[in-house]
Amino acid sequence: MTDPLLRVEDLHVEIAGRGGTVRALDGVDLTLAPGEALGIVGESGCGKTMTALSVLGLLPPGGRVTGGRILFDGTDLAAAPERVLRGIRGNTVGMVFQDPLTSLNPTVTLGAQVAEPLLLHRKVSRAEAWAKAEETLRLVGLPRPAERLRHYPHQLSGGMRQRVAIAMALICEPRLLIADEPTTALDVTTQHQILELLDELRTRLGMALILVTHDLGVIARRVDRVAVMYGGRIAERAPVRPLFAAPRHRYTQALFAALPDAATDAGRPLATVPGLPPSLTSRPTGCRFAPRCGFATDLCRAAEPELTDGLDGAAPADTAHAVACFHPADPAAGDPAAALLPPHPAGEAREPGTAGTLGNTGEPLLRLAGLSKTYPLHASPFARRGPGARGREISAVAGVSLTVRRGETFGIVGESGCGKSTLGRMVVGLEPPTAGSVHFAGRDLATLTKRELRAHRRRVQLMFQDSSAAMDPRMRVGAVLREPLVIQGIGDRAEQRRRVAGLLDDVGLPRGAVDRYPHEFSGGQRQRLGLARALALSPALVVADEPVSALDVSVQAQILNLMRALQREKGIGYLFISHDLAVVRHLADSVGVMYLGKLVETGPARQVFARPLHPYTRGLLDSANTPDPDAPPPVSPLGGETPSAAAPPSGCRFRTRCPRAAGLCATTEPPPTEPETPGHRVACHFPLTSAGSRGLSSG
Amino acid sequence: MIRFLAKRLTQALVVLLLVSVLVFVLLHLLPGGPARAILGVQATPDAVAHFNHQQGYDRSLPEQYVSYLGRLLTGDLGESYKLNQSVASLLAERLPKTALLAGLALALAAVVAVPLGVLQAVRRGRAADYLLTGVAFLAYATPVFFLGLVLILVFGQQLQLLPAEAPQADTVGGILAQAPALVLPVVTAALGIVAAFSRYLRSAVLDNLAEDYVRTARAKGQSNARIMARHVLRNALIPLATLLGLYLPTLFSGTLVVESMFNYPGMGLLFWNAAQSSDFPVLLGVTLVVGVATVLGSLLADLAYALLDPRIRSVT
Amino acid sequence: MTIPALDAVGAGPPDAAPAVPGPARRALAALTRNKLALAGALVLLALFAFCFLGPLLHPTDQIHTDLAQAGRAPGVGHPLGTTDLGYDQLGRLMYGGRTSLEVGLAAGLLATLLGTVYGAVAGYCGGWVDAVLMRITDAALAIPALFLLVVVATLITPSKPVLILIIASVAWLSPARLIRGEALALRSRDYLHAMRLMGGGGGRAVFRHIVPNAVGTVLVNATFQVADAILYVAYLSFLGLSVPPPAADWGSLLSAGITYTQVGHWWLIFPPGLAIVLVVAAFNCLGDGLRDAFDVRPAKG
Repeated sequence: MTDPLLRVEDLHVEIAGRGGTVRALDGVDLTLAPGEALGIVGESGCGKTMTALSVLGLLPPGGRVTGGRILFDGTDLAAAPERVLRGIRGNTVGMVFQDPLTSLNPTVTLGAQVAEPLLLHRKVSRAEAWAKAEETLRLVGLPRPAERLRHYPHQLSGGMRQRVAIAMALICEPRLLIADEPTTALDVTTQHQILELLDELRTRLGMALILVTHDLGVIARRVDRVAVMYGGRIAERAPVRPLFAAPRHRYTQALFAALPDAATDAGRPLATVPGLPPSLTSRPTGCRFAPRCGFATDLCRAAEPELTDGLDGAAPADTAHAVACFHPADPAAGDPAAALLPPHPAGEAREPGTAGTLGNTGEPLLRLAGLSKTYPLHASPFARRGPGARGREISAVAGVSLTVRRGETFGIVGESGCGKSTLGRMVVGLEPPTAGSVHFAGRDLATLTKRELRAHRRRVQLMFQDSSAAMDPRMRVGAVLREPLVIQGIGDRAEQRRRVAGLLDDVGLPRGAVDRYPHEFSGGQRQRLGLARALALSPALVVADEPVSALDVSVQAQILNLMRALQREKGIGYLFISHDLAVVRHLADSVGVMYLGKLVETGPARQVFARPLHPYTRGLLDSANTPDPDAPPPVSPLGGETPSAAAPPSGCRFRTRCPRAAGLCATTEPPPTEPETPGHRVACHFPLTSAGSRGLSSG
Repeated sequence: MIRFLAKRLTQALVVLLLVSVLVFVLLHLLPGGPARAILGVQATPDAVAHFNHQQGYDRSLPEQYVSYLGRLLTGDLGESYKLNQSVASLLAERLPKTALLAGLALALAAVVAVPLGVLQAVRRGRAADYLLTGVAFLAYATPVFFLGLVLILVFGQQLQLLPAEAPQADTVGGILAQAPALVLPVVTAALGIVAAFSRYLRSAVLDNLAEDYVRTARAKGQSNARIMARHVLRNALIPLATLLGLYLPTLFSGTLVVESMFNYPGMGLLFWNAAQSSDFPVLLGVTLVVGVATVLGSLLADLAYALLDPRIRSVT
Repeated sequence: MTIPALDAVGAGPPDAAPAVPGPARRALAALTRNKLALAGALVLLALFAFCFLGPLLHPTDQIHTDLAQAGRAPGVGHPLGTTDLGYDQLGRLMYGGRTSLEVGLAAGLLATLLGTVYGAVAGYCGGWVDAVLMRITDAALAIPALFLLVVVATLITPSKPVLILIIASVAWLSPARLIRGEALALRSRDYLHAMRLMGGGGGRAVFRHIVPNAVGTVLVNATFQVADAILYVAYLSFLGLSVPPPAADWGSLLSAGITYTQVGHWWLIFPPGLAIVLVVAAFNCLGDGLRDAFDVRPAKG
C-alpha cells in the first residue's frame, strides 16, 4: 500500500474546563491513504470530533494535545508551530463543520468568504480569487453562483449554506477534506444531496476524506473504512463491509442492534445499551465499555484492551479488521444482534402494523377534520397597518384530516417546516386552529366550556422534544411531577407523593430523583421525566413531539422501548411526531406523511413504508440513509428544496419537486383517494399504484 | 428594509407625539398653572382669568393640546420670561453648539473604547483585563461633575496645561478655533461613555470569538489578528450603532452638567440658568428639543444599524 | 412489571452535580466566588457603618454653624478639616452620606418595584397593551433623566420623601423595559406551555413560574437602580435642587466646596466626591457579581 497521507499515532488530548480536565482522547491510532475515505463514528462525547479538530490544531479553548503524533504528509502537526498549521489549514486540508447556520460569517459576502482561503494561500489577485470562487460554487451545485457571490449567508437555505461551506473548504483543492457531522443539521432529502455531492467531489478531485458522524446510515455507502470510537479510544476499526456485516466489538454490536432500522420485527423491543457513556474526567481502569457490557469479565474490568486483529495479538495492519475487546464476537457466528436482544416478552407479541393489542377496531379517540393554521407574516400590531402587509401569511398547516384510535401509535413524519409540530400543538390545544376542528372522544374541543376544557386537559398531554426546557429550572423533580396533580386537584399531598413515586418506577428512575433538579439528569433521563409527567394525569393520548431526536442511538432505544411498554400496559394512544423515518417505522401503527402543511399520505405504517403511493413518501424513503453498505443506490431521491410556506405552490404543493408533475398538478389540488387498499389514503393525481410505479422505475 | 423603515418611522412619530404630550403635561403641572408662572404669584385672580382667556388656557385640555401642538409645528415655543427673546431663537443659537460638544464626545468615546474593549477581550483573565475592568467600573461610577472638577483642578489649576473654561464664541467655527479650551469639556463628557462602550465591546468581542464562524476562519488558515480585523470586529461593531443611540440621553445629561461647569454656551447652560431663574418656557422648550433630538438620534442609529447589518438590510 | 428498559436506568442521577440552592444562598455563593462582588459588598458594609455608626465614635454638631472654626485644614480634632461654615467635614460626610444612602436606597427600590409591576404587566399581556405601555416608556426615556429631574425639582421644593418620589418617578423606566423583556421571554418558555396543558391558569403561571424565575433579574436590577438613584441625588444637589441646608448630602457637600477650590480647600471636594464614586462602584460591582450568579444556566447533565 502507498504511504499514508495521514497517520495519527497514540494521540492524547486533554480539555481543561470548569469541572476538571477531560481526557477527550486517550491513545487514538488512525491512518488514511491518499484518496481514501475514512468514517469515524460514535455517540456524543466519544472523541470523534476532537480527533477531527486536533488534526488541524483547532481544539477548543483549554484543549491541547498531550501526547502522540499527527503525521500529515511527513509533518508532525501535533508539534508544528501555529505558522505551519496556518499554511496547511484551508490549503492542503479543508474542513467542513456541522452547523451551516453558524459556521459562516453573517456579515461577510459569500464571495469574500469563499475566496478567502485562496487569497491567503495562493498568490492570486482578488479578481482571480473571485472567479475561482464562482467556479467552486458552481462545482458544489449552487444555482446562479455569479449572483450569489454578492449575497450573504442568511439569504440561503441550510442545505445551500452547507454547499458554500464545502466550497470554502475545497477552493484550494486540498488533499484531505475533514467533514465533521456535515449533514446532521439538515433534512433527510438535503442530507442525501450533500452526501452525494461529497462523494462525487471526492472522486473528481481525488482527495482523501474523513467523515465524522454519529449516524451509521450516513457512512454506510460513503467511506472505505470505518473507525468506531468509544470513551476517547478506538473500539473497532475495519473496512466498511466487514464492519457492517459482522461487527466484532460488543459496543459496535450493541450500536447496530439499537438502530430502529435493525429491528427485524417491529413488535419487539429494541436492544438497548444500559447506562451512560463514561465521563472522561478520571481515567477508567479496564475497558471503558465494561460497565455497560453484558460480556464483561474481571479481565475487562482490570485491564484495558488494545486494538488487535484478533489473530495473533500483534498490532494490526492499517487495513485489517481490528478490535479492542477481550471477548469479541466470533465473525462466523450468525446474527450478531440476536445475542443482545432481550427475551421476547411472552404473551405480548403482536402483529406488526396493527394497532397494538386493540387492532384497527379500536374506537376513534382523536379526529382532526380540515385542520388549518395560518400565521400573519408580521405579528406586530403596528406593522399590520403598514401598506402591502395585508394578506401576507404563512400557511403552516393546511387542511389536515386524520383519525387516531384508542391505544394506537399514529406517526407523523415530515421534514422541518412541514407543519408537523404546529399540528401537534393544535391537537393539545396550545394553538387555536385557524380553520377545521379537533374532535376528542367524539366531542369538538371548540365547543367545550372553560371548565370542561380544564378537565379535558387530563386526557391529552404533550411530551416535549427538550424536556429540560419544558421543566421549570427552579423546581425539583418532585414538584415538577406533582404539578399536574396539584393543578387538577387530584388526591391529597401524601397520595400525590405516592403517585409520583409510582411514576418514577414506571419510567425506571430511582425514587430519590424527587429531590433533584431537572438539569442534573442526562438527556435520556430527562426524557424519562418528561414521559413521567405526561403520564401523571393518566391521559388517553400523548402527543410526543420529536421525543428522541436529541438522543444518542443507544439512549433513544431505551426511550422507545419504554414508550412502547407503557403503552401496552396503560393503553395510551400516541401521536408520535418525528423527522426520523426509521423511528416512526419502528413505533407507529399508522402513519401520516406531511409536506408543506399538507398530509400527503396516510395509512397503516407497514403499507405506507412498503408500498408508498405518494412520490414524496417514495423520495423520503429513498433519501434516508440505510445502514447497509450494499444497499442499492436510491431510485428517485428528492432534488430541490421545500418552497416557502409563505408562498406555497398552487394546486399540489409538492409539484415543484415532483418527478411526475403535470399541468393538472399546478391547477387542481389533488383530493385524497384510496387507490390500492382501503385505509391507505394518498393525495396525488398520479399515485404510485402497482401499475404506475413499475412504469416509473423502468423509465 | 422598506418595511423596517416604515415601522421604525411610525414608531418614532408616535414617540415624538408622546414626548410633546409629556411636556404639555409638565406645563400644566406648573404651580398655579402657566398664568401664575408667567404673571407671578402676586397677580390678581382677575388678571389670571384674563390671561387664561387670552392665551386659551380656559379651554378644554384636548383643545389646548391641539393648539399647543399647532404652535410647536410652526416653531413657536413661547417667549423666555427673563431673556426677552423667543425660546425658538435661543435654541437655534445654542443647539448647534451642544450638538458639537456631544458629537465630539461621542466620537472620542467610540475611538477610545473600541481598542480598549478589544484589548480586554484578547487579554481576558489577565492583568490588563482586570486593571481596565476596575478602571471602567470607577469611571462609570464617577459623576460627571466630580470628574470635571478633578480635571479642572489637575490640568487647569495645578499643571496649567489646558484652559478650565470652555471657548466663548457665538458660532461653532469660533468655538472650534479655540480647540485647546474644548479638550476638558469633551473629555469630561466622554469618559463615562468610554467605560460603558468598552465594557460592551469586550463582551461582544468575546461572544463573537466563541462563534462557529471564527473556527471556520481559523480552519481556512487565517491568523488571529486578521480574524479579529476581518470577521470579529465587523460583527461586534455593528450593534454599537444602536448602542450609540441608546446612550444619547446619558450624553445629553452629561452635556448639561459639563456646560454648566465649564460655562460652555450651549443648551445645557441655557437650561441650567433657566432652572436657577424658574424660566419655565425655556426649561420646557429645551426639554422638548432634547427629547426630540434623542428620538431622532436613536432613529438614525437604528437606520445605520439596519444599513450595516446585511441580515436586516436585505429583508424586503 | 416487565418493562425491558427498567434495567437500563444506568447509574441514576449523577452524584457530582450539586443541588441548586435558593436565591439567597446562591447570591451568597456568588459573593464568595466573585471577588469583585465580594469587594463591592464589603465596601458597602463599611460605608453604611461609617454613615450610621460613625457619629457614635466621632460625634459632631451638624446643625449649628461655627464661623470661628470655618475653613480649617485637616488636623487634630477635625481629621478632614472644617467647611466654610465651620461644620466638621468628617462628621458632615457621615451626616450627608445618610441622606445619599437613604434616598438612593428608597428611590432605587421604589423605582424597581414600580418598573417591575409595569414591565410585568406589559410583558405578560403582550399585544396592544404592551405596545401602548412601551411607547409611553419610550417617550419618557427619550427625555434625558436629568432634564426631567431638573424640571420637576424646579416645580417642587424637595424634602427627603419628595426627593425619593421625584427620583423614583423618573428612574422606574429602565427596569420597566428590562422586566418587560424578561416577562415576554419567560411567557413563551416551554415549561409554561406544559403548565397550561395541565390546566393551570394565569395566577399559577405568574406566581409559581414567572416571578421565581424573574427574581434574579429584578434583584440584580435593583442594585443598579440604587446606584443610579444615588447618582441622581448627587446630580440634583450639585445643580442646587436638593434638600435645603442645613441638611446635606454628598452631592451638595461637593457643590458647596467648589467655590473654595481656588483657595486650595481640597478636603471639601475629594472626600464627598470619592464617597460617591465608591458607593456607586460598589453597588455596580455587587450587581455584576449577582448577575453572574443568576445568569448561570443550569449546566447540561
